[in-house]
Amino acid sequence: MPVSVTSEAGDGTRHPQDKIAGAIGDPGAVLNQIERVLIGKGETVRLALACLLARGHLLIEDVPGVGKTTLARALGVTLGMDWTRVQFTNDLLPADLVGVSIFDRDTTRFQFKPGPVFTSILLADEINRAPPKAQSALLEAMEERQVSLDGQTHALPDDFFVVATQNPAEQLGAFPLPESQLDRFLVGVSIGLPDAATERLLLEHGDRRASVETLQAAANPAQLRQWARDTESVHVDTKLIDYVQSLLQATREDGHFGHGLSPRAGIALIRLCRAWAWLHSRDHVLPEDVQAVFPAVAGHRLTGKVATGRIAAEELLSRVDCP
Amino acid sequence: MSRCTRFARTVPLVSARPSAAQSRKRPTLALLRLRPSTSGVDTKILAALAILLLLTQLPHVLHLPIWITVTGVALVAARLLASQRPELTWLDLILSSVVLTSFAVVVAILIRLHFGYFVGRDPAVAFLFVLVAAKFAELRRGSDATVLMCLASFLLLTQYFYSQTLLAALVTVPAVFALGHALAVIRDPDNAAPLKSNIKLVAVMLLQGAPLAILLFFVFPRLSGPLWSLPEDGMAQSGLSDSMRPGSIGELSQSSAVAFRVEFDSEVPPYRQRYWRGPVFEQFDGYRWSPSHTARPVKTQPSDSNTDVIDYTVMLQPHKQQWMFALETPTRLPTGSDAPDASRRPLALLLSDGQLIADDPINQVTRYRQSSSLSDSQPAPRGPGTHTLQLPSNNAQAIAFGKQLALQHSTPHAIASALMQGFSKAPFRYTLRPALLGNAPVDEFLFDTREGFCEHYASAFAVVMRAAGIPARIVTGYLGGEMNGDYMIVRQSDAHAWAELWIDGVWKRYDPTAAIAPSRVENGIGTALGVDEPVPALARLGGGWVTMMQLRWDGMNHAWQRLVVDFDNDSQAELWDRLGLRTPEPWQITAVVLTASALWMSLLLGLPGIKRLHRFRAERELPPAERAWRQLERLLARKGLARVTGETPSDWLARISARRPDLAPTLRRLSEAFNRQRFARCDNTSGALALAHDFSTLRRLLRKPHHPTSAKRAKQRATS
Repeated sequence: MPVSVTSEAGDGTRHPQDKIAGAIGDPGAVLNQIERVLIGKGETVRLALACLLARGHLLIEDVPGVGKTTLARALGVTLGMDWTRVQFTNDLLPADLVGVSIFDRDTTRFQFKPGPVFTSILLADEINRAPPKAQSALLEAMEERQVSLDGQTHALPDDFFVVATQNPAEQLGAFPLPESQLDRFLVGVSIGLPDAATERLLLEHGDRRASVETLQAAANPAQLRQWARDTESVHVDTKLIDYVQSLLQATREDGHFGHGLSPRAGIALIRLCRAWAWLHSRDHVLPEDVQAVFPAVAGHRLTGKVATGRIAAEELLSRVDCP
Repeated sequence: MSRCTRFARTVPLVSARPSAAQSRKRPTLALLRLRPSTSGVDTKILAALAILLLLTQLPHVLHLPIWITVTGVALVAARLLASQRPELTWLDLILSSVVLTSFAVVVAILIRLHFGYFVGRDPAVAFLFVLVAAKFAELRRGSDATVLMCLASFLLLTQYFYSQTLLAALVTVPAVFALGHALAVIRDPDNAAPLKSNIKLVAVMLLQGAPLAILLFFVFPRLSGPLWSLPEDGMAQSGLSDSMRPGSIGELSQSSAVAFRVEFDSEVPPYRQRYWRGPVFEQFDGYRWSPSHTARPVKTQPSDSNTDVIDYTVMLQPHKQQWMFALETPTRLPTGSDAPDASRRPLALLLSDGQLIADDPINQVTRYRQSSSLSDSQPAPRGPGTHTLQLPSNNAQAIAFGKQLALQHSTPHAIASALMQGFSKAPFRYTLRPALLGNAPVDEFLFDTREGFCEHYASAFAVVMRAAGIPARIVTGYLGGEMNGDYMIVRQSDAHAWAELWIDGVWKRYDPTAAIAPSRVENGIGTALGVDEPVPALARLGGGWVTMMQLRWDGMNHAWQRLVVDFDNDSQAELWDRLGLRTPEPWQITAVVLTASALWMSLLLGLPGIKRLHRFRAERELPPAERAWRQLERLLARKGLARVTGETPSDWLARISARRPDLAPTLRRLSEAFNRQRFARCDNTSGALALAHDFSTLRRLLRKPHHPTSAKRAKQRATS
């Protein structure tokens, strides 16, 4: 069943000018494709794509079985990128992630065997189950886009993109990500359960994973890199810079959120705003772009949980004067 | 979009006014135009006027006949019911002009029958009361509402015909606010602000107007007398009457109503010398004392240089009779004020029997200056008439007793003292509830019941003295008065009667009550009577907090009366005098008032103007698009469509569009243009031009009155 992006997007009717074109080879086609398997989650899909274009990493916080893996796979397939999935467990070692140097008898040298991080899209499932050492190995890779091992650095692919998931339910033996590491994730979203109609559709059509296999690539990594460069030319007016600044200030003022948002979060927010505006075919950022992405950027950083943070962030938006 | 309108068409419009479809069901009635609820009066206007009317009617409830009140309120209620329940056709019939006009005629006749006359305060106010309500009941056009507000204001003022106390003024305040609210609603009924913000607006405007009102209060020329003399209405008023029978003073003593208030210039006389002289009675028919009507106007006796003269101001409550009260003995005639202008006409005459008689009955609070020298003897320009010795045909025992006394004692003074001693020695009782007296009241009182109030003693004393050959008469008035702060309250409970005897060429005061109940003369009625006597609580000494509160309240009322109500021509003259100015000419007053108004108004209007200037300076630095945006924000905020905190421009304009579909296309264009102008990198002039065009369109649309229901209907028509 074909689903139109504009009609299903959360606030598509609010900005009728923000049409997303549907031709092959443009972001609209990519979004269309992914939404075909992730029905009714246009907002999340867009945020994920914007996050990818803004060269950030994505944290999905949700209960199992709502399509976290499907989203990562669909992104990979549609963008023509390779992807790897790593299930994090409490005995995961850093080497299991980044790889090891093995002594090669033939060449009498240590040979680096790259681990699963050497990929474009890495799906880190249940990241909060891994011990801190393994988590920080991943987070270094995310931040530096390189892996250091035995005095050697190994660069990761240019379009390295981590989709980490974590289960929000309190569980024994989980290692919640510390604030500093949550800050590394540009966007925190939750997919949420499908509505009744969509769920019935899912039950009718069976496994989503199977339908992912039928997807065609709608773009290639080179195109993606071009897009990412394009988003950087989107104009952000000084009024909006001020607006973002006062939003950051507001998170720091009343002390509800510890130290509030870091400048890094502010930079990330503006990058994401650009990508978001670009996805909506605009060459400038509007206040509603800031408001659309702010909860996703601020939520997990402010409270450590996506769901509660989103509410706090939206409340904050209603307190700060908009330009 | 289409789904929405389809939905709207199936759901009946929720509207306070009955829709066209509803009125079509009853074509006959619509043709007869008997349906006031279908006329062009908005529900909001109706509600505002109803509040105004009810608050205006409220103060009148106290003095209007109950059937008038019920009629007036019922008419208002009927009109409200008719607008709420248009299906009640019989109500429309009742509220038609024809029925209401005939109803008004019937009410006029009923009022004439009820009061017995028509031209006078009470019937006129009652008729106005019903007419205003009837006007509301048949309200049809918007202009009717204006007429009704004028009528309501007038009705509100008429309650000052009854009372000008502080309470009366306070009671009108809610109606004044309701009037302001109604004015605000009528100005723009469709976008009427809620009651609460209108009340705030009215309060601000009243405060802004207050300085001018105060200025006008002081400088506006007053008439030297009342504007028109209010006809005497048959309202019961407590006070001394023009005759005295056993029990009449006793009844009066049970009222704590204020008789008059006094301000002394310097020293307050001691209690036992506070004899306030009132009506004097010289005729006695054996039961009732009445005036002789032989007294003639006389000149006042200049006071002896060696006695102290007490100067004071009396504020006499209306009592519908002509006499005025002064301490014994007045040395001059009462005047309105002590202004340096010496040729001031006195307000009353002094009669040869020592009464002060005003020119007209005292129908409103009257303030006068008075001087007295304290003495217990009245000068008598003429000798006593023979009627001061006249004896009744009954009461033979008392007369015999008097003749016997005359034989036993030689001088009149000795005779009087003997009787006074007799009163104090024999078991006489001072009480408000004496035994009833029969055909020979003096005899029965003196020799049988031996209990009575001051009038019994004074009357018996005078009869016995006359029998002994001493000319005697009865004086009624008040004895005492209670200090409340810097002024004295004299209440009806201080009413008193005493006797005067003609001795050595003067009328000398003898108060037999002093012999029986000395504390009455020394301390007042509260201590002289037993605890089971029906004395008003205020007359008792040392009353609790209720007494204290009542005295406070009386103090406030007194201040109100003295400072506000009594501010008349004379006070104004005094004010000018104190300021060292001549009394200004009317044109000078006009010039002063106009200048002051102009200054005050320019100050009020200028303050926001100065603020606006500052803002304008600050905004001049901004880019043009930003300036225009601020303008738009202010423009819409003035219309009550302000942006809420955190709302993005697009969200805001979309929200307004949902409320005002007539503005939607313009607002959408403005929204897009502004977003481009304010947030995009380019600054193309064509966009700015489009912006200016849409801006002026918006201004024009906002100026037009907006009717939400008609807009909805227009939309409905357009889609169907």
